[in-house]
Amino acid sequence: MGAANVAEEAKRLLRTRITDPSFVFSFFSQNSNSNYSNLKYIISSSVTETCNNSALLMGPRGCGKIAILELVLEELMKEHPGMISVIKLNGLLHGDSKCAMKEIARQLCLEHELVFSKMASYDDNSTFLMSMLRECGLAHKTLVFVLDEFDLFTQGKQQLLYNLLDALQTLTSQAVVVGVSCRMDADQLLEKRVASRFSHRKLLFLHPSSEDLQRLTKHILQLSTDSGLPNDYVATFNTRLYKLLADEKFKGIIDTLAYVDATISHLLKFLFCAVSLLDSKSGILSLDIFKSALQRVQRQPKMESLKDCSILELYILVCIKRMEAKEQDTCNFNSMMKEYKSIHDTFQTSDYYARNVCLRAFEHLLDQHLLSFEDGKGHGQSTEFRPVKLLVTWPELHLALKSHRSCPTVLHKLMMDREG
Amino acid sequence: MCEEGTPKSSRRSARLSSGASPDPKPPATAPPNASKLQPLSVDDLMLHGEPLSLDGLIASFPARRSQILELISLLGPLDSPMMPLFVYGGASTGKTSVVLQIFRHLNRPFIYCSLITCYSPRILFESVLNQLLLHRACESSRYASAKRCERPSDFVNLLREALGNLVNTLKGNVKSESTKSKTSRVNGNMIYLIFDHVEVAREWDMSSSVVPLLLNLHQILNMTEVGLIFISRASLDTFHSDTGFAEPFQVYFPAYNEEELRSIFMKDRAKSKLYNAFLDLVLPPFYRITRRVDELSVVFTPLFKKYCEPLDDVGTALSEEVKRKLFSHLQPYITMYMQTTFFSSEHLPNDTSAMKNEIVKKKKIAAKKEASEEIGFHMSTSARYLLISAFLASRNPATLDASLFDSTGGLDNRKRKRKVSEKSMEKKETKEQELLMKGPGTFPLERLLAIYQCLTSVIDYASDYENADSMDAEVCNNVLLPNIHLQLSSLCSANFISKGGSCPLEGSTRYRSTISEDMALKVARSLDFPLFKYMYRS
Repeated sequence: MGAANVAEEAKRLLRTRITDPSFVFSFFSQNSNSNYSNLKYIISSSVTETCNNSALLMGPRGCGKIAILELVLEELMKEHPGMISVIKLNGLLHGDSKCAMKEIARQLCLEHELVFSKMASYDDNSTFLMSMLRECGLAHKTLVFVLDEFDLFTQGKQQLLYNLLDALQTLTSQAVVVGVSCRMDADQLLEKRVASRFSHRKLLFLHPSSEDLQRLTKHILQLSTDSGLPNDYVATFNTRLYKLLADEKFKGIIDTLAYVDATISHLLKFLFCAVSLLDSKSGILSLDIFKSALQRVQRQPKMESLKDCSILELYILVCIKRMEAKEQDTCNFNSMMKEYKSIHDTFQTSDYYARNVCLRAFEHLLDQHLLSFEDGKGHGQSTEFRPVKLLVTWPELHLALKSHRSCPTVLHKLMMDREG
Repeated sequence: MCEEGTPKSSRRSARLSSGASPDPKPPATAPPNASKLQPLSVDDLMLHGEPLSLDGLIASFPARRSQILELISLLGPLDSPMMPLFVYGGASTGKTSVVLQIFRHLNRPFIYCSLITCYSPRILFESVLNQLLLHRACESSRYASAKRCERPSDFVNLLREALGNLVNTLKGNVKSESTKSKTSRVNGNMIYLIFDHVEVAREWDMSSSVVPLLLNLHQILNMTEVGLIFISRASLDTFHSDTGFAEPFQVYFPAYNEEELRSIFMKDRAKSKLYNAFLDLVLPPFYRITRRVDELSVVFTPLFKKYCEPLDDVGTALSEEVKRKLFSHLQPYITMYMQTTFFSSEHLPNDTSAMKNEIVKKKKIAAKKEASEEIGFHMSTSARYLLISAFLASRNPATLDASLFDSTGGLDNRKRKRKVSEKSMEKKETKEQELLMKGPGTFPLERLLAIYQCLTSVIDYASDYENADSMDAEVCNNVLLPNIHLQLSSLCSANFISKGGSCPLEGSTRYRSTISEDMALKVARSLDFPLFKYMYRS
């Protein structure tokens, strides 16, 4: 294999690993006291002891709730073939109970090779669900309901949740309801009658610690000898990788990453960027690659927008900032033009433009979200009269003016004026 | 075409078409165009054109080298799975064109949907599905979509099915490549979905479900052969969501700086020293106003024409003297163009003689009848008076009406004898200025009608009866009231007057005039009406 091919093959392999949640989170399945084992115990006890159960998985986005649930279900399906049937619902898509019931019926029909009718009403689907639960209970087959975005199911009358959890109370059914939510108070959103039928088992998925993140990086990036790549390449890659992982600077990079967002999905984005920057000739990771990946992952959108402003737009921002500093209550385009004119009269700048040109620049700033309207829909008033507020702070504006290449000195002077 | 098979069509047919006589030609012959339209194949999911090399790609986008290389590295080698990408940047920074040309260079199949053309969730879903199912809208099926899809749950199910089929077709293509000669130019077995202008989805009514749906689509679908790319003008932090979404990987397209703009404008004219000299003159001043390519190019095209006017032969050598001559010719135009907004060239004065006159007359008061001073559309006289009345009602506070309009209509010229102190004058002035800043006020319908009646009662009928205008005015004054509400509603739908909510105490709707002072003055001038006498603090 040519050198370029090897690097490309390695890239492909690593990218497949990074975008595959089951590979990433299999790292967490080894610990005996982890969420993985607890969850496995809950569901497997329901299968083996033919009882009903419900659980709620909570944690911020990107911490692996669905991924670990999928791993558990996969394991259990291997251990107990044909005894588990999974139905997946998503609160974003099926928040309405009619829609949800239709989806449940559709998935049940698909699994058991029955004919699904799109015209079936809510009651038909509901009775179908009940009879399926009864049949599966008699056949000792467990139905697992996975409710993703659980908090979106709790809006409205919570009809679906009540029906499902109520069905679990009957003796003949054998089902597990697992809710997954990114809200930490998801269980408090339940109505009283629904909450009383819920078992209140909660599993918290929290951010991994810094050491865990380092170990996860190693788990993802190290190449094994049976990966189809030439052995000497694998050996050099791995030795380089271990050296890097032991380096203090690399640990510093991971820590900086974790200060902002310690979730695993953030780390995965960082690793994805690093792998895509892999040099196609050598195919070896280096510290520089990780440093540039860090820069690309941590963005400062407001600073970027400020750096993109033209000089007229900077004038408008400084005018509004000065008016804010003078503690004027409302500021709109007209009052800003007054301030702009007064600056022009005081300093005799060359940058005095007509009203409609300034209005256009004003609208650019609104598009970029550096300014925004204070009132909601505006009640049909035109752009010139609606009150606006500035969405950037003093230090950001100051930094932007400093780094702008051709910023006129007038603006600097005006900013200095207000500093004290 | 006659309306056969009406039970099948779900739409109501117009009376005219259902009463049409039967087609004289036998209906068995298919329309002649149908056979020419081939069914779509996977090849059509690519951007067609000559094969594009990497160097060609970088050369066609002068300042976008690092972004192109970044995007290509993130898209990765053939058939490698991808995290969703979020490409953002200001307007006209080349995001859409760069992404599409990259796909042309890589020869990979993709689906493109712009959220401006697909302006509602249903149209968006159906457009995506149509492209994935290789559906061609034809006349026989009344240009219907392949599948009817309104709800997000249906969309995800159909999408999964369509993507699965398409990926299988692509895999089949790849396999068959080794056996027979390559008929398909499509590379790989991954399919990419590109959603453009995602920022407009924030303002949709269903935005709370559509925005998280799109951004979480990758997690929901969970298919490794699908890549998602979002293009947006706004950065990701402006997408507010209650419970958040899985953040895609962000790629930023910065705005161009001065050298980059120069290289873009010089791209196809590298040998033109004339254009280079022209850019030296115009780019620095206009760069201070805006950095957008589309706005600058709208201004530069007419300016370049003006610049080349004094030259007899475009190929003459550019000495310093020639350059100075051209500069002095262009200079007044530059100043003039800098004071206009960068709209299409219609709004810019084309007539050079009128423009020259204007420069000469700059010190005088603005001329009354210039070509650019007329309103660009026709309005009846009563509508104009109504518009002026609305403007006055919004502009003046209600308490002033009694003093401005006395019982005979017309301006009240009583002079006030009392001398007011300076301090209260100052306070009054600042209060008046503030009132102006706040914008036009609202007024009830009765006040509008009262002012309208006052104004129209003083229309001068002294002119001779042959004059069509006065006939018009007299007629309109006679049939005053029945037409008013019609006129008012048409002014409202033209957005000259906006209708607000009703006041909770009184229960009547309030209106507000939304035209600018310039426009009101234009309208008044066309009627020879002394508007500034009636205006509050003109």
